Amino acid sequence: MKLHRIYGITLRYLYLFRHNIDKLVDIFYWPAIDLILWGITTLYIQSLETGFSQVVVMIVSGLIFWQVLWRGQIEITINILEEIWNKNLINIFATPLKFSEWVTSFIILGIIKLVVGFSFISSLAFLLYKVRIFTFGFYLLPFIFLLLMSGWCIGILVGALILRFGTRIQNLAWSLPWAISPFSAVFYPVSILPAWAQKTALFFPTSYIFEGMREVIFKGTMDAEKLIISFGLNLIYLALSLFVLRLSFNKILKKGLIKVY
Amino acid sequence: MPILEIKNLTKNFNDFKAVDNVSFSLEEGEILGFLGPNGAGKTTTIQMLLGVLSPTNGEIIFFGKNFKNHREDILEEINFSSTYTNLPGDLTVKEILTYTSFFYNIRDRKKRIGEIKGLFNLEPIFKQRVSELSAGQLSRVNLAKSFINFPRILLLDEPTSSLDPEVAKYIREFLLEERKKFKVSILITSHNMAEVQEVCDRVIFINHGRIIANDTPENLAKSIETSHIELLIKDGLKRTEQYCLENKIKCRIKGRYLNIDIEERKIPEFLEDLKIKKIFYDEISIQKPTLEDYFLETVSKTNKGKRHETA
Repeated sequence: MKLHRIYGITLRYLYLFRHNIDKLVDIFYWPAIDLILWGITTLYIQSLETGFSQVVVMIVSGLIFWQVLWRGQIEITINILEEIWNKNLINIFATPLKFSEWVTSFIILGIIKLVVGFSFISSLAFLLYKVRIFTFGFYLLPFIFLLLMSGWCIGILVGALILRFGTRIQNLAWSLPWAISPFSAVFYPVSILPAWAQKTALFFPTSYIFEGMREVIFKGTMDAEKLIISFGLNLIYLALSLFVLRLSFNKILKKGLIKVY
Repeated sequence: MPILEIKNLTKNFNDFKAVDNVSFSLEEGEILGFLGPNGAGKTTTIQMLLGVLSPTNGEIIFFGKNFKNHREDILEEINFSSTYTNLPGDLTVKEILTYTSFFYNIRDRKKRIGEIKGLFNLEPIFKQRVSELSAGQLSRVNLAKSFINFPRILLLDEPTSSLDPEVAKYIREFLLEERKKFKVSILITSHNMAEVQEVCDRVIFINHGRIIANDTPENLAKSIETSHIELLIKDGLKRTEQYCLENKIKCRIKGRYLNIDIEERKIPEFLEDLKIKKIFYDEISIQKPTLEDYFLETVSKTNKGKRHETA
């Protein structure tokens, strides 16, 4: 891998960010709207049910951390879609740029935008609801990284499917992460899910991550087992999704779809 | 040693053979025309040479290195431009050249981009978004991009097709100059036969995925025996028409003008016969066969052959 090439392709997507207002909307507008709507709703619930004093923290922190996964995923999928929409794949792959360098740029962009987006939404949560994410300590950091990893897995998998089957399934970019959210226990514990769903949740690293995060936030303890299991699952899924992406890419090379894309 | 060698290149899409056992080479500093009708296999071949389409069979060797094993090294020294390729519409010309320059190992990127801007007269559109450019301007940016890495080999897919004649002429001259100065080798596809005849040292003609001919443009044109004659008949138009019918010479009459297609070797005999029959003409123009004639005749022949094969 060559650094100058990774820089070049990262620059290509950063330029896009400079010109495209949609990108700003993705990072700032939607998370802010989510936070305001859900925050006010949970404040209202809290005012009705006095027993649920921590409900605001639970919902707001769930929302914030869901953004981490969302950002990690959408960054990869949208950048793949951008190349397809612009029919630009031929321009980037008829150069020495390697497939691995392309994927690396997505991960770098995901991290950059996560830092920007996470800082923004955390500050907003503090300003609006006095929720301080990092008062719960830096125990949260490994979980945040794991969430980002889960986002990459979904992003790469969706990108691979779109490359393989075309833009007719592009809606997956926005819908697939939400399909896994019920099993991820974003706003509630896994134990309230029906038995079959609890078993399904065992295969989702996100369920361990959100459970683990709630333990950090409410009990101040970190469950190392949950951390290890989610990391292991993430590693397996990341390897699998990269493999599927490579297969899809090989398929479009074989079918001559780069010209079409 | 050739700078590019293609051996038995084949691409099948299921049962359809888009490129069928194609072999040819490109020498250093050579401009090679790659001609053929639409769907002949030209773009498919170029895509395989760029590594964006996997061949079913065959070998591609650039600078003595196998493409399969030395993709990055090879792509560092080649580039391409196609009229049919889009560029990201949201980005400016400057941004496209900048990010693309980082894909290559260029020492002074800023300087190179400045040179390219001057060479292709991009100053007026440099900070404009690609989506705001005309087709001609877009072609110019595509071409400019293809020179960013000082390529030793350029693959050009109809590079001048959407350019106005003046810019197209400038580009042709520019290509010839680059070849002269830096010994750049160019593989060019074009439907503009005059352009091919002007710039190409050699032409490969491909149809239905197979190479039909590989020769200089002059030799290919010469291989067509039929010449075209136009005569302004002063007296005896009807008799000339009759003569053509009797001798099975294809003719068309437009006003006082007679146009005939006749084998080059039969022209003296034809003119002698007119004299004998006291048919007088005021003007005569004889057009020797061109590459375009070759193109049309060969496409027609190979298409007929293909129809027989499939029948």
